[in-house]
Amino acid sequence: MIKQLTARFGRPMTLVVLLLLWFWLIVLVLLPQLIMIDYSFKPNLIPSQLGGPEDVYTLGNYQTLIGNDIHRTIFFKTIWSSILVTVLTLLVSYPVAYFLAQLATAKQVMLIALLLVIPYWINEILRTFSWYLILSFQGPLNALLLGLGLIDRPVRFLTGDGGVLIGMVYAYILFMVFPLYNAIESLDNNQVRAARNLGAGLLRIHWRIVIPHAKPGIATGCIMVFMLAAGSYAVPALLGSPGSRWFTQIIYNWFFEGGDWNMGAAYAFVLLILCIGFIAAVMKVFRIGLGDIGK
Amino acid sequence: MDSRVHLDNISMKFGDFTAVHPLDLDIQSGEFFSFLGPSGCGKTTLLNIVSGFLEPTTGSVNIGNEPMAAVPANKRPTSMIFQNLALFPLMSVAENIEFGLEVRGVSKVERRKVSDRLLELVDLPGSGQYRIDDLSGGQKQRVAIARALAVEPKVLLLDEPLSALDLKLRQHMRTELKEIQRRTEITFIYITHDQGEALTMSDRVAVMSAGRLQQVDSPIELYRRPKTAFVAEFVGENNRLPGKVVSVDGEQVVVDCGAAGQFRGQMGARLEPGQPCGLYVRPESLQAATEQDINRLDVSVETVNFEGAHLTLETRHAQLPTQIHVQADQRAYGGQVDQGSSLSLGFQADETVVLPEDRPLETADD
Repeated sequence: MIKQLTARFGRPMTLVVLLLLWFWLIVLVLLPQLIMIDYSFKPNLIPSQLGGPEDVYTLGNYQTLIGNDIHRTIFFKTIWSSILVTVLTLLVSYPVAYFLAQLATAKQVMLIALLLVIPYWINEILRTFSWYLILSFQGPLNALLLGLGLIDRPVRFLTGDGGVLIGMVYAYILFMVFPLYNAIESLDNNQVRAARNLGAGLLRIHWRIVIPHAKPGIATGCIMVFMLAAGSYAVPALLGSPGSRWFTQIIYNWFFEGGDWNMGAAYAFVLLILCIGFIAAVMKVFRIGLGDIGK
Repeated sequence: MDSRVHLDNISMKFGDFTAVHPLDLDIQSGEFFSFLGPSGCGKTTLLNIVSGFLEPTTGSVNIGNEPMAAVPANKRPTSMIFQNLALFPLMSVAENIEFGLEVRGVSKVERRKVSDRLLELVDLPGSGQYRIDDLSGGQKQRVAIARALAVEPKVLLLDEPLSALDLKLRQHMRTELKEIQRRTEITFIYITHDQGEALTMSDRVAVMSAGRLQQVDSPIELYRRPKTAFVAEFVGENNRLPGKVVSVDGEQVVVDCGAAGQFRGQMGARLEPGQPCGLYVRPESLQAATEQDINRLDVSVETVNFEGAHLTLETRHAQLPTQIHVQADQRAYGGQVDQGSSLSLGFQADETVVLPEDRPLETADD
């Protein structure tokens, strides 16, 4: 590859490109991560104590997380809720993606893709805040449901996890629809027709033909949505109730409210490990390799 | 098993475009029936109507005397072999074949028995565990046939299934398909634009053009007695001499081809004296003229192609617009004709077909 680059751009330019690449990878990606890991194994000290007898490696920060009931509960709740968000997003996105990939005309695809993308031109905070308005106690959704006579008094959507789940499914739907669309689009329509011709009904066609074919897309979408959900801050901060705190909010608090970067780093590192574990698990369940996800 | 297919007043429109004009057709139980025509003639549309993938604009389909109007595609007693086969690449060979039975809730043990038996039938014994991608083109073909037969259809629909194969394999599979059809006694409906396939395998062939049935007949009748100019020109090779009807004499017609002379031929379709027409004579029907020949044509040879058993000659008559193709036994002319030599050709009236000149069908929407 270096040979090709040299042949094309000459030696000096190639050197610059490679140096920039390595600079980005090492200084901007790897080094900060390593520093945070280093932080996470040290106690939080005032500057005068740095280098002193107390500045030693310890598991104390991690023990705090394990020992703190509330934090531990929130950690597991975050995992569980993120999985829930992932599954809900998949359920919502699959029909849309299937329609786009197999049934829609070119014009419909354009229109729907545009409708899906336009909200993303708006800042995530604003998009999330609009859900805050929609779901609020005296908001338009309650007004609509009351007007239709479906409920006889307003519902508190924003207590509990409901608001967070809705907000996240909405925020990450594109990250699921497009990988699914890509995967389903490459399915030969004759496969569906053949299955139908052999007697298969709708559910079986999807279960036996479409979903197995779309597996890499489903895995990619699930991994992306899970990572985004587990690492989300804005949605739980805006749409969450006091009872639905997200693990990211605790990390944020350690860094910026508690001023304890070491503790924050430890918590963040645990979240990172969890996400990597999730990816590995999904890849194992779907029996796919890293190469499949890149497609 | 009654596996007759009856099409009653079937037609299909897509918006303004008429893919199939209203037609009636009866296909017998256990018949090998082909639809032959150029692409866009409506044959695939008809297949999709029979299989239930398309709802006809008018008319109804009956299979084994049962109306199919309310029967969705996945409940019809038909099974289809797709042009690209559409095997399921993520399933093994056996799983592919067993899919239709799996849908019907047949137990695993029973399914395995059926797939083993069918793999035997299509000459692939013991290859159930293979992946589809591990098979050659011909093997995939056989798996597709086995998969379609597994559900014990009354009617097997074949959508140009041999078109992806190379010539030799294609010819081999023709024999094999015919053999399978003979053994299973299922009605085969075969779609093709390849007349070789249609003529060699079929009991009857429907020639289609521009959404209309041109002629439904046995292969030999199609070849010997085309009923429209389209069929005469589409099926096999033919020489066409343009002319005008002079007189009609029972089943025979006298045609005036201007400076080329007057000829006698069979009346292929209704003709009136004075009507413009085409006189069709096959290359192999043109022989060295004898005293008894009523139809004679003097030509000069332009090209000679030696093809072993026979010679093909491209000849020209000074007053005719197109070349006259002659296929002759090499023993008759071998070494005696050259470019520029003159020939006197004769042909029998009963090997000559006269058909109306007018051909609006080819200009119909396509």
